Amino acid sequence: MYLLLAQITVEDLEREKLFLQHNYQFLTFGLMAAWLILAIFVLMMFSRERRLKREIASLKAMLEEKSAKA
Amino acid sequence: MRDKIIYGIGIAAAAVIAWNLYAIWGLPDEVNQGSVYKIIFFHVPMWAAGGTGAVTSLVASVLFLITRKFKLDALAVASTEVGLAFLTIGLATGSIWGRQIWGIWWTWDARLTSALICWILYAGYLMLRRAVEEPTQRAIFAAVYSIFAFIDVPIVFFSIKWWRTQHPQPVFWGGGSFPPDWTRHFLWNMAAMIALGVVLTAVRYRQEEAQREIDSLRRMAHAL
Repeated sequence: MYLLLAQITVEDLEREKLFLQHNYQFLTFGLMAAWLILAIFVLMMFSRERRLKREIASLKAMLEEKSAKA
Repeated sequence: MRDKIIYGIGIAAAAVIAWNLYAIWGLPDEVNQGSVYKIIFFHVPMWAAGGTGAVTSLVASVLFLITRKFKLDALAVASTEVGLAFLTIGLATGSIWGRQIWGIWWTWDARLTSALICWILYAGYLMLRRAVEEPTQRAIFAAVYSIFAFIDVPIVFFSIKWWRTQHPQPVFWGGGSFPPDWTRHFLWNMAAMIALGVVLTAVRYRQEEAQREIDSLRRMAHAL
């Protein structure tokens, strides 16, 4: 046991520390990427919804105007 | 009423995801991968939601070709678009996970390549719809294309069984296992992502209906 511990160098510990730090970094990147893509998609849907509602309202107004003239 | 149900499911799914995010963050690290393995709680459910979108699109496309009901065409486009968003997240999270564990962002193995082809095929579906003006022709072309695109889905799913890949075997049917509390969080996330997909598809479906209403209003405006 002690023999095994004696074989661990400072470099090994540094490498392990860096790996653990990178783990948290990449986990955060992964989660951020997931939520960011989802948020962009939802925002695109919201903007499309607004555009469609505007378009329907303007077309209905135009039709009413045209039928009133006719 | 339909809106209330849709938004109710959406709020429930968001609440489950938020609770799970907090709970997963507190889970202990995995012995080989450390904390980065926790991406699996989002990576796999995103693929499940994307796959659900692909299956829905296939069923709707087949039914459209049989019945010629445009509501089914609307369902096909809605589920494809939402599914594609989830596939994008699946590819992105997988690439980030791979960078830390394999040391590379990407490799051309059977799973990753077939998954990318799947993404390109479904992106092509949306591009095809934009390219065809006439609604009936667009719906027929899109339905046939969607059936063709689905051929890749089982290849993506079984690629890790059929070929030797850099991508590991699946946890649940590849000989691995999760501790029970991890499985619980995993399955809840899976259910929440699929529910979120259903909600987004329902909203997108309504937008397609609105688009059809716009088309008919335009035709009326031209006729007057």
